[in-house]
Amino acid sequence: MPRYLWSGSLSFGLINVPIRLVSAVQDRDVHFRQLHEPDGSPIETRRYCSEEEKEVPFEEIGRGYELDDGTLVTLTDEELDAAAPRKSRTIDIEAFVDRSEIDPLLFDHPYVLLPAGETDGVMRAYRLLAEVIDSSDRVALGRVVLRAKEHLVTVGVRDGLLALTTMRFHDELRPAADVDNGGRKPSAAKLKAAVDVVKAMSADWDPGRYEDRHRRRLEDAVAGADRTEDVEDPKSGDAETPDATGARDMMDVLKASLDKARAG
Amino acid sequence: MPRSLLNATIVFGEVSVPVKLHTAQTSQSISFKEIHLEDGAKIEHRRFCAEEDKEVPYEEIAKGHEVADGKYAVLTQEQLAAATPGGSKTIAVEEFVPVDDIDPILHDRAYHLGAGKDAGAAYRLLHDALAKTKRAGIGYFVFHDRERLAAIRAQDGILVLQTLRAADAVVDLDTLKPDAADDARAPTAKERKMAEQLTEALHEPFVAADHTDEHRELVLKLIEAKAAGEDVELPEVEEQDAPDDLAAALEASLADREHSGRRRRASPTKKPAAAAKKRRRSPSSGGKARKSKGS
Repeated sequence: MPRYLWSGSLSFGLINVPIRLVSAVQDRDVHFRQLHEPDGSPIETRRYCSEEEKEVPFEEIGRGYELDDGTLVTLTDEELDAAAPRKSRTIDIEAFVDRSEIDPLLFDHPYVLLPAGETDGVMRAYRLLAEVIDSSDRVALGRVVLRAKEHLVTVGVRDGLLALTTMRFHDELRPAADVDNGGRKPSAAKLKAAVDVVKAMSADWDPGRYEDRHRRRLEDAVAGADRTEDVEDPKSGDAETPDATGARDMMDVLKASLDKARAG
Repeated sequence: MPRSLLNATIVFGEVSVPVKLHTAQTSQSISFKEIHLEDGAKIEHRRFCAEEDKEVPYEEIAKGHEVADGKYAVLTQEQLAAATPGGSKTIAVEEFVPVDDIDPILHDRAYHLGAGKDAGAAYRLLHDALAKTKRAGIGYFVFHDRERLAAIRAQDGILVLQTLRAADAVVDLDTLKPDAADDARAPTAKERKMAEQLTEALHEPFVAADHTDEHRELVLKLIEAKAAGEDVELPEVEEQDAPDDLAAALEASLADREHSGRRRRASPTKKPAAAAKKRRRSPSSGGKARKSKGS
């Protein structure tokens, strides 16, 4: 059974559905712990006061925020916990919005909301909300406080379960307008040739076909292999970065690409 | 022009497109330093050997992957470096897939790609071809010593690189479904209708800038007040009760909605008659305890 990261209630109008939050994705990375090489024993991190050369117990640690002028303002965990703009155990649905209006770059982490308790009342309220959201192109918008930080969230439906996604706030996205977009539009002939290349290199999306090469390399290293031979190493082969394809050669290069894609 | 994190080259077919990688998403979370409350001095993290009770210099640290309880497969920093890819700066597009078919649950981090040196024409050509075909280029991408799968798509007039989670990172939702899910009585037509009316009443256009980080603002205010030596009054918030008669609650919600008009922040003083009658607290909500220890 997955670990519950949070439990509370989802509030829709005056209906409260008790729910539990679990992550919709699992971390499958190969994890490492720091060890002391000579004796192989685990490393412990100890917190020391930088002034006094002594270890500091957890209760004596506060949070310091540095102002622009360098002044350090210290807050206790209690003060921070108290600075909650709203209930910390309730996700209030504030609005319903069209999913297509949300910039995908705003989405952060995916979770699933599970009903807490299997009484008929809980299940029915949960199911009602899931059915109503699922039959629309909309998602619910609300907020949740996780680990002392408030998140804007959407609640949609995935495989019949309520799916919550935390979001970034709008000021956490950089404007695309600042980025160099390459300038002039290509000619119709070049665009058509490029579209032909894209089409010739097209495939259905099948995520299972792509290996997590990073994980595989580390797993092999842990298993004792010095070097992973059958995982393609990007170090080899392309030490030389190719030059930009210039506008003048573009048609020839696109034709060559198309031939290659069709042959391959 | 924003600073770039990396210069790389996208290769599709025989075409090379130099790009600059820029941050697209930046956390504005308030970050704190650990402070010793007694004297206000900063806290340092020091590495100690658990066995010998002595501080360990960085050179003596190895990485261990736990293979069994307390048993580690040890990798030296050299072995670890050998297992991580070098600085490949080429992103070879293997294929182009329909951009809408990529499940957003796989989205990890996103970066803006800007046109790199001499790339103007090739960059714009790739962008326009992706926009026209509604496809994304899939390839592997090396950043910070780690190879990741990435999708390159056209968005907002530029190219965006989205790193993707492995397919097996997604939790199998079937394993999470509560057993009682299918046995529960389906909502009645009346309940559905009222719920739909309520979602309709709460429907609004999504304007990202309307949703600010109120928690961040409140913490910054608290910091300012403390810096000025003022006392700070923090709002008291109350938790709500668990659910009740579904139809009655829906009816009350709709009525509540009609009376209060636009955008209502659920206030703790408003409670449906049904809820007041039959007070019940969710067993999982930890009762009234709203204090959650910060991380």
